[in-house]
Parts: sequence; C-alpha cells; structure tokens
Amino acid sequence: MTDVHTPQSGPEPVTEQDEATRSFGTHPDVADAGAGADSQPSPGRAGWLRWGWRQLTSMRTALILLFLLALGSIPGSVLPQQGSDPGAVEQYYASHPAIAPWLSRLGLFNVFAAPWFAAIYLLLFASLVGCVVPRTFRLVGTARTPPPRAPRNLDRLPHSSSFPSALSPEAAVEGAAALLGRQRFRLRRPDAGRGEHWVSAEKGYLREVGNLLFHLSLLGVLLSIAAGGLFGYKADKLLVEGQSFANTTSALDEFHPGRLVSGSDLAPFTMTLNNFTANYIESGESRGQPSNFDADVTYTASPGATPGTYHIRINDPLSVDSLKVYLIGHGYAPEFKVTGANGQVAYQEATPFIPANTGTFLSDGVVKAPDASLGFMGVFVPTAISVGGTLESIFPAADAPAVSLIGYSGNLGMNNGASQSVYQLDTTGMTEVSGSPHLMVPGQTWTLPGGKGSITFVGVKQWVSLAITYDPGQVPALVCGILALAGLLLSFFVRRRRVFVRAVPAASGTGSVVTVGGLTRSDASGGFEEEFAELAAEIAGAAPGPGSPPGTESTEES
Amino acid sequence: MFRAKRRTVVTVTAVVAVLLAGALAVTFLTQGKGNASDSNGTVEYQAGQRPLAPDFTAASLTGSSISLSSYRGKTVVLNFWGSWCPPCRAESPTLAVLSQQYSSKGVAFVGDDVGDTPSNALAFTRSVGITYPSVSDPSYLIVQKFSQVAPVSDTPTTVVIDKTGHVAGMVLGEVSYGELTTLLRNAAVTQ
Repeated sequence: MTDVHTPQSGPEPVTEQDEATRSFGTHPDVADAGAGADSQPSPGRAGWLRWGWRQLTSMRTALILLFLLALGSIPGSVLPQQGSDPGAVEQYYASHPAIAPWLSRLGLFNVFAAPWFAAIYLLLFASLVGCVVPRTFRLVGTARTPPPRAPRNLDRLPHSSSFPSALSPEAAVEGAAALLGRQRFRLRRPDAGRGEHWVSAEKGYLREVGNLLFHLSLLGVLLSIAAGGLFGYKADKLLVEGQSFANTTSALDEFHPGRLVSGSDLAPFTMTLNNFTANYIESGESRGQPSNFDADVTYTASPGATPGTYHIRINDPLSVDSLKVYLIGHGYAPEFKVTGANGQVAYQEATPFIPANTGTFLSDGVVKAPDASLGFMGVFVPTAISVGGTLESIFPAADAPAVSLIGYSGNLGMNNGASQSVYQLDTTGMTEVSGSPHLMVPGQTWTLPGGKGSITFVGVKQWVSLAITYDPGQVPALVCGILALAGLLLSFFVRRRRVFVRAVPAASGTGSVVTVGGLTRSDASGGFEEEFAELAAEIAGAAPGPGSPPGTESTEES
Repeated sequence: MFRAKRRTVVTVTAVVAVLLAGALAVTFLTQGKGNASDSNGTVEYQAGQRPLAPDFTAASLTGSSISLSSYRGKTVVLNFWGSWCPPCRAESPTLAVLSQQYSSKGVAFVGDDVGDTPSNALAFTRSVGITYPSVSDPSYLIVQKFSQVAPVSDTPTTVVIDKTGHVAGMVLGEVSYGELTTLLRNAAVTQ
C-alpha cells in the first residue's frame, strides 16, 4: 500500500527498454487495486462473488473503512463510556433523558463493543487480509526474480557511459561482474553460447523486503489487536484497607472478558491492600487538590509464591504475571457495628461510601443489616463542619470525620433473591426509626428508639478502586508497529537500481568497447547519478583502456 | 471519463454500505450471549470424568478449623455464599432443609462464606437456622482454587463433591430442591 501507482497504458509492443524496466517497483497488483473497481463483473454468481471480493479488498475500500473506523471512534471519546466510567453514563442519562436511550440503542455508550464498530473492524480486517496476503506472495515473487537481460543499446538508458578497453570483451565484462558482485549486486549473465558479453546487475532488494515487512507487520498489528480482544480481559475491584482478594470472577466487581476467556484463564494472583495514602495540598489557592496517591499492597503471583509488596500510584501500575493493576479511584469506608433488638451483633464491616463530591469527598452510602431488620442511609464527611445545621465537608482528608445517618427498620427485601445494589437501600418495606438524621463521630453509638437496636460508628478506613487489565496483544502490537514503520522507511528510502555492462570487440580489432547503463525508479529519492558515475568509473578502472589512465569518454545524463 | 469515475464512486459506496449492513446484521444476530453472571443452571460430570476437587483447610466462622479432605468418604455439598448476596439468602432455607434430610444419608453440607465478615455471616445463619459449618473466605481464595477446575464464576454456586473427592456436579446460581437432589442422586454413582 506504499507504492505510488502508475496507471498502465494500453498495450504496446514490448521493447527492450520495457524489458529493462520490467517489474520495477510497479507491481502487477497495482492494476487490479485501482482498475479492479472499475472492471465490469463477468456474468454469473462466481463473477459477482469475484467482483465483490475485489471491491472489498481494493485499497479504496480499505481506506474508506479506515476512515470510518476513525470516525466511529469519535463518539467513544466524546460520550461517556459504559466500560470505563459507568457513573458518567448514568449522569448523562439524568441530564439528557430524551436522547440518552437513543444513543444507547445505537451503542454509543459502548462504542468499542458496538456491533457496528465490530462490523467496520471485521470488514477492514477482511479487506486488509484479502489485500495483503496475495500481495505478499507477489512481493516475494518480485524479490526473487533475477534482473532482466541487458538491453542492446545501453546508451538509450537514462544513465550511460562507454569507454574503450584494452581487455577482450569477455575479460572486460568478467572484471565488471566481479566488481559489481563485490558490491553485492545480484547478477545475471547471458546464456552460454550466444556470443554476447554482458552482465545485468540489480541492487536494492531491501526495498521489497521493507515493503514485505510493512505488510506483514500490518497483519501482525491486526492479529495482535484481535488476540487482545479474544484472550484479554478487563476487571474492576473495590478493595478496603486490610482486605484481600483473589483474582477470580466471583471476587471481581466488574468483569469484561475477551471472547475466548473463561474463568480458569485468570491469573491466580491474590492481593491485600495494606494501606492507602492520599495527600492533599493544605493551603493556598489549590487547597484540597490531591498531590499524591499511594496504595501499599502485598501480592502473590500464584498460590504459594513468595509475597511481594508494591506501591501502586497513578500511572504506576503493578505488573504481576503479565497483567497490570491500575489505581483508578478511592474513597472512604466508615466502619459500623449494628446490634439487633436481641442484643446480638448483626453487622460489623467497613462499608464503602461513594464520593458524591470529588472535591470535598462528601460521600453517600448505605448500611444493610437484614438480620437485625435495620438499614441506614448515610452521608460521610471527612472534615466536617456544620453550616446552619447541615453537615458539610471542607477538606478531602479525614481530619474530622463524621457521619449523618437516617435509620430504617423493617424488611430490606434481600431474602427474595432479586439482586439489589449494595449502594442503595430499598425502603419500600421499611419505616424510619427517627424523624431526623443522626450525627455521629467515630466511637459514638446511637441507640435506636423503641429497643430496635443500636449502631456504632467504629472508625474510618479507605478504599481503592483497582482496574485489572490483561492484554496479551499489547507488546506484539507495539513490536509490529515499530517493524511496520521500519519497513515503511526502508521501502521509502531504498532504491531498486539496475546496472548493465555490455562489451563488444573494438573496431580496431584489439580490445573492446565497454558500455555501462544505469536505471532506477524515477520517483525514488535522488543520489543515483552520483552512485552511477562512481560505479562507471570503477568499472572503467577495472578494465583499463589502451592508453592509461583510463577515463570515461562520455557521460550522458537525462 | 468523468461519468465513469462517478459511477465507480457510487458503486463502491453502495458495495461498502451493503457489506456494512450485512456485517451489522451478522454481529447483531450473533451477539447477546450475555455475561457470566447471568448464567444459571446445572453442570454435571459423569463418573470417570469428574475433576478432583481442590483440598482446602480454613477457619470456620466460629473459629475452628475445617478441611475438605476430612470429609472423604462422604458426599459433600459445598455452597459458596455471602450474607450480602440476595440469591444466597433466598436459597438458604432450601439448603437448611436438605442438610437436615440428607444428614443421615452420608451427605455433609459445608458453606464457603465469601466477601463477608463473620459477624454478618453468623447473624444470618442464626436467623435462617443453618446449622452446618461454613468456612470464612473473605478473599475468595477457595473460590479461586475451585475456579481452576470447574466453572465457579459467581455467587452463589453449589458444588457437589462425591465420596472420592471429585466434583460430581454443580448448581450455578440459586439452587432449587429438585436440582440439588438430582445432583446428589447422580453423585452417589461413582466409578
């Protein structure tokens, strides 16, 4: 796909000049890539199929699909995406109730998993494979073809020079061939017994190698991406300080596996969050802005392995067993102890609250103690002040934590099997235990009216939200990308060039007249003139003329 | 020449549009397998093809030590559950009844309480009347072990282990009385 396509002119008698420029950068497939789209389908089903396939694999279609792919990615970066930020999607639904369902129907909240996106991708893949595979075979063929026979009139070539030599035609050509061979030209000599003395030499096959490398690497990139999509996975996990989890599907909050991933494919690592530290700027204009996040974790790559420790920071993920664990969020988990009417502890747990305000970390959450028939809706504030009776947070660090709880008693609806959000309390079967929210600081206990039990605000822990990603295609895609670039550069900067040397007996009867001709692609970068002049001089030097020192008699350049 | 070019552009666009529509239809039709969390039903292994259940030793909710291998010779119903999980709460009366019915038939019930705290879990077992023991597995370590040999991918999951310590079958999602008794009947058939 890197070659400049030269339109093929109509049939002309094949001349030697044509033979000399045969398959010279202009590959035979050029014709079908461009002209194929124009050709009329031959009748019959096979003809139509062939025509359709040619349309799909034409470079034009590939370019259109590539453009569509780029166009299709735009909504993915403009609209919130379900995979990366489900909260933002919900917010979008709330603020655009009319169009959000339509956008969702079109898959615009999950662009990269949308059928239409997959359609573009798969078509592009088919188009590229259909284009690249036959092309690869042709490129191999081109690279293996020996140079053409030397034309009869070398002085008609763009670069040529001739000189008389004291050597016989055989010896002169032999010397030139040896010299060209030393310079790593690929050589072709006349068939034996034809009485001709010439050598054809060709160099610059790296151009073809580069071209091949580019195309193969392009396929490699596509295959790597496909491998990532098939065998990779993404998962999210919320982890409270002091808690551990094993990397298994049930333990993960969100799990987005590739098409061919099953539960037993997950790397069996385990991780404990020892401690999470968030530092905030204490004063000045940017007071309250975070300055550092640090999740101190202990992990084992597999059961029984030696535990390792790591500090996961923003943009500094933990790499374990070829997967990466990123820190993507944090919050507070106030710890509560709920005692039921019977006096027995029904709930004791650090309960993650979700930040409603990421500036002050005022957070919302619920406590569900179904076995004490109690539920609480709460607001947590890390640094509390009371503004006219309302609880407000003035700083994101937990300097003066407090919670405000509204208690409910009754049936939480958790025993009928229907799943419910752990962040929401279904109060349909419940009654409020007190008229107003109850404010608590750590260590305080609220004894509920009517002997319904009590709740203690034990303390505050923090939680982190982790993204676990496994993309087996990442490294191969990078390597293939680099190789593709290298191949592209090779095919841009290396020239295919041909040099022909022909010697005929001199008219005087002794010695010979040696003609050197040179040819390169017209669109390749310059520099061949100099190379040719140098080569011609060297060839002349190898076959000294009747009077020393030898020199080039004429140099024609066009 | 110009006309020919325009016709080409039109045909190419049309072909691309048709192909896109076709691919779209195909992807729409083949999509929608849903994620693993929706999977419900039973998995059964014939005698001779049953994967070996991984052994574990862990602390129970009340602090004693439980190991799976100590149940060798009995059929074991291992239930992965959590007091926070509504389907687990909904299926527990069934499990409580079955554990009573099968206790005299050489079947032991064991719970694996995942993602939970012992206080929450014990409050639940008390209130629902479950008397069989559960190990405390807040980090899902035992689940991870089982997921390597059988499709344990969500909570609740109930695994039936035969007398030889092999997985005879499992119920994915909430168990029903019928599903579990069928599995128990088949688990009794060992090689």
